[in-house]
Amino acid sequence: MAIEGAATASETAPEPGDAPAFDTSVAHVARVYNYWLGGKDNFAADRAAAQQAMAAFPDIVHSARANRAFLRRAVTYLADTAGIRQFLDIGTGIPSANNTHEVAQSVAPDCRIVYVDNDPVVLAHARALLTSTPEGATDYIDADLRNADEILAKAGETLDFSQPVAIMLMAILQHLSDENHPYEVVSRLMAAVPSGSYLALSHPARDIHAAEMAEMANRLNQMMAEKVTFRSQAEVAPFFAGLELIEPGMKNVPDWRPESDEEASSPAALWAGVARKP
Amino acid sequence: MSVAQQSGEEPDDELNSAEAISGPTVLRIFLGGQLRKLREAAGITPDRAGYEIRASRSKISRVEHGRVSFKERDVADLLTLYGVTDEAERRRMLNLAQHANSQGWWSRYDDVMPDWFETYVGLEQATSLIRTYELQFVPGLFQTEDYARAVTVLGHRSASADEVERRVSLRLQRQQVLTRPDATPRVWAVIDESALRRPLGGRDVMRAQLTRLVEVAELPQVTLQVMPFDRGGHSAAGGSFSILRFAEPELPDIVYIEQLTGALYLDRLEEADHYREVMNSLSAEAETPAESARQLKILINEI
Repeated sequence: MAIEGAATASETAPEPGDAPAFDTSVAHVARVYNYWLGGKDNFAADRAAAQQAMAAFPDIVHSARANRAFLRRAVTYLADTAGIRQFLDIGTGIPSANNTHEVAQSVAPDCRIVYVDNDPVVLAHARALLTSTPEGATDYIDADLRNADEILAKAGETLDFSQPVAIMLMAILQHLSDENHPYEVVSRLMAAVPSGSYLALSHPARDIHAAEMAEMANRLNQMMAEKVTFRSQAEVAPFFAGLELIEPGMKNVPDWRPESDEEASSPAALWAGVARKP
Repeated sequence: MSVAQQSGEEPDDELNSAEAISGPTVLRIFLGGQLRKLREAAGITPDRAGYEIRASRSKISRVEHGRVSFKERDVADLLTLYGVTDEAERRRMLNLAQHANSQGWWSRYDDVMPDWFETYVGLEQATSLIRTYELQFVPGLFQTEDYARAVTVLGHRSASADEVERRVSLRLQRQQVLTRPDATPRVWAVIDESALRRPLGGRDVMRAQLTRLVEVAELPQVTLQVMPFDRGGHSAAGGSFSILRFAEPELPDIVYIEQLTGALYLDRLEEADHYREVMNSLSAEAETPAESARQLKILINEI
């Protein structure tokens, strides 16, 4: 908790005696990503998978970092230009630099952020390290993206769904195969928020550096418990159906409002956009 | 296998063991290794590096093995020679060099501080994140003066009143890291319920200690989780330990395990992995920070 008003009643503790399942012998997406970002919260299996992926697509390290930079720019835009004060960040991952609430609350300290992840260790890190300003709030939800209704119900304890909300799906939808109905999940989430809300999304591309990305997906799917489905520009576009993409539309992450030449020139392979619900 | 297994003598004998104080510290070993990597990456020979800092090749070797303390000017000159121009990186390295030298504020407590513990205090001042699991006692950084005195008397039964006060004073000084303006290090503690229920120093002291824990948990850089009796049986098997993390990407985590007359510092990746995994399990199994704060308040009334 650490800060008054920072935590709310919807924090869910594990059931007594119900030890969460952590299996560090199999690569886990949050820890593989942590490795690419230069973090230290990863284990042998994660490092092996991360290095296998790097062998297939050497620019994955730049790509992962460019995705974090996109997150920072998108949240800055949402809090600053769009005036958004509520964020639902699904697929939190292990805390890194420029986490959503830090960026949002640096613009407006009263921002309220709900982090969602389905991994108990990620959630423990989030609760410990992603703590709110006294003016705002952060909450942490143990839920799976496949269960949009559960996410919305729990998030409703911290967020006011009669006011605009930014829903953030940063490099997470690739873990929903087509059988998991990813488009329905996103439209279900967007249906729950009012006009003036936003969707901020990034998604690994299968039509940028296509051969390398295909090989990387192949390798990751052999080594990770959670499988990945990379998508093309035409396959990512329908996630924004019924929404108004803000300029410059859907782009590879470095081309979405880069703030420096360095950001603009980073190699990356993720389709990304920010769109407003009319 | 430990990077450094330092053992002190019986605590009372250490008071005379001035020589041990000048021994190598883990931090020096890290920094030295760091400088060696930078030198090799820059393709510079030890002779050339030695010349740059007006010293011999063997001095460079001693520096890189962490056997001698660092002159800040030497470190600065070496960083320049190795092409490290990024101001933030230079500052980080110089900051570490400063901490690696034993003349921190804590050197004034040499008389009551064994070498192995001085190393820990030095590291504690230089970390970005301290994760700690405590089974027996409230963590030192969170102790009230009275509780610290009760713990000290327990561990040093033959100590004079004067020595006890020196030890307590050292412990309180360490707590200054909790109120640094830059909010580092972050301290993330999992405390077993037994440490919270054992009334060290009596009920009044313990009640005040629990009240202090509630206050500490509200500090922005502190996270406190309670491990209730009915959880954590399998993860806790190893006993109390801490994991120290440094902001520098190249520096590995260090696992610190305190024993009665010495301490273990583990930094081999496989070992650190194991302890990190246990710590992760403990953090995920323990009460959330919010629920822990509620339980602490209930405990105060039960003591």
